[in-house]
Amino acid sequence: MNEPKVPDIPIEFADEVERELYARRKKIYPREVTGRFASLRTLAVWVLLGIYYVVPWLRWDDRQMVLFDLPARKFYILWFAFFPQDFLFLTFFLILCALSLFFFTSLAGRLWCGFACPQTVWTEVFMWIERKFEGDRARRQKLDRAPPTARKFLIKGGKHAVWIVFALWTGFTFVGFFTPIGDLAQRLAQFALGPWETFWILFYALATYGNAGWMREQVCIYMCPYARFQSAMFDRDTMIIAYDPGRGEPRGSRKRSVDHKARGLGDCIDCTMCVQVCPTGIDIRDGLQYQCIGCAACIDACDAVMDKMEYPRGLIRFTTENAVEGKPVRVLRTRTVIYGTALLLLSAGVLAAVLMRTPLGLDVLRDRNALYRETPQGLVENVYTLKVINMDEREHRYSVEIAGLPGARLILEHDDVRVAPGEVLAVPVRVQVDPYALRHASSSLTFLVKAVDDPDLGAHREARFLGPTPVAAR
Amino acid sequence: MQHADPGPSPIATLPAVQRVSAVLWPSFLFAGVATMVFFALIDPLVLLDCQGVPPLSRTGAYSLGFFLFWLLTAGASMCTLYFLGTRIPPRKPIEEPDGS
Repeated sequence: MNEPKVPDIPIEFADEVERELYARRKKIYPREVTGRFASLRTLAVWVLLGIYYVVPWLRWDDRQMVLFDLPARKFYILWFAFFPQDFLFLTFFLILCALSLFFFTSLAGRLWCGFACPQTVWTEVFMWIERKFEGDRARRQKLDRAPPTARKFLIKGGKHAVWIVFALWTGFTFVGFFTPIGDLAQRLAQFALGPWETFWILFYALATYGNAGWMREQVCIYMCPYARFQSAMFDRDTMIIAYDPGRGEPRGSRKRSVDHKARGLGDCIDCTMCVQVCPTGIDIRDGLQYQCIGCAACIDACDAVMDKMEYPRGLIRFTTENAVEGKPVRVLRTRTVIYGTALLLLSAGVLAAVLMRTPLGLDVLRDRNALYRETPQGLVENVYTLKVINMDEREHRYSVEIAGLPGARLILEHDDVRVAPGEVLAVPVRVQVDPYALRHASSSLTFLVKAVDDPDLGAHREARFLGPTPVAAR
Repeated sequence: MQHADPGPSPIATLPAVQRVSAVLWPSFLFAGVATMVFFALIDPLVLLDCQGVPPLSRTGAYSLGFFLFWLLTAGASMCTLYFLGTRIPPRKPIEEPDGS
């Protein structure tokens, strides 16, 4: 009796179906690619990483050239020393960076993502290391599918070991921007690193290892805010990577000797090389997509295939939406002009502000132990600590005066307020005033600090003078 | 009482890496900003003068401050993620007293 074969329908419970609504991430194995843009990317890696790993070792005068000295609360960049009072400059500098990124994006699209972004640069190094151990794309796929053997363990182990060492060097260099790196290296050799230094080296090593070794394109897709909003700066004249369907479609494989146009075929031979080399795993022939980081690997791959087929290059190329439709290319347009002008003005402004800043900082800290003190003579006294910051390059002697509180007397513990360049001096002072001269319980008082050898160099800071509620007010 | 099933929250169906990143990464960024602004204005050594605070170096204070900020901002991000997942079943239309 031949009964019709009932197909085996797998039954899953509703809960499990709901939990599996998203596909598990499939690991992407980008194929190796060579070409003009691949060479440019490699050059960018060498230059940018070169800067990162070499700069902390460079010196200026007798100190590190770039040092964000957190314990001493001073940031050194070239010949500048920045103090916490200069925090506004950091804010403006970050705004400048953002604005230049917007300007660059409106012109050149996601060139930052594909060529300069630290995530891309470090991932490229990690993948280069991976290729050295695990081989090309086919070999890597085969190795991952293979059962655990001693050989697989050695290969994977070797790769992770090199990754970890490189990540540790990266973490060490990062901490070297915040603590003098020569000193750090010496203490590392003697196993005498401080606990917090050790912690941060390991933390940044872990972040490098995790982001560049494991996460890779996931950072670009899920974590990067720029990835989400970069397209807002695009217009139809922004440079993008595009496949030319007018030239390429209909796609289909054919022999090189065949006249494909006669057969009604486009230039695309559907070799899928563009998909295989893509680090984010997209098919650029479907159009520009969110995941595309503009690395131009697909351009290199397609150009190589076009060369072999003796077709002209550029089936996938850098172009603009307008250019694809045959419209003229415009670089100077409202968007780019506005971004560019804003960038120019802000850069000039920040540069001028930095160059013209007063190299003298003053902070006034009122002694909070008591509201006010009464002297044996019956005067009301407030105690202050003045922090005088000499941001200049030579030593200065300063004079301290007060203003704004009639009848007040300033008493300095030491007459000689002398501050070395780049140093902060704490100056304890006392201000005394007759209580009957006070009009309010809380009065305003201004401290003036002037350089004795340079009357133009001065700073002032307002402070409060507290006393008893005045007799008249009672 | 039969309620219409609101279905799984779209948040719960997102990949785990996306949900974890959505909590840990923005909180990390803003904890960094908070740390920089706070400690540019306030020298940690001044804070360490307070009673009951463990004796830390400046670096230790920056680090501890950063992680406390991160904990706070991560808590906020977690709440955001949690509340984005709220789904209420569709209300069944009933006869209103005014006849609508």
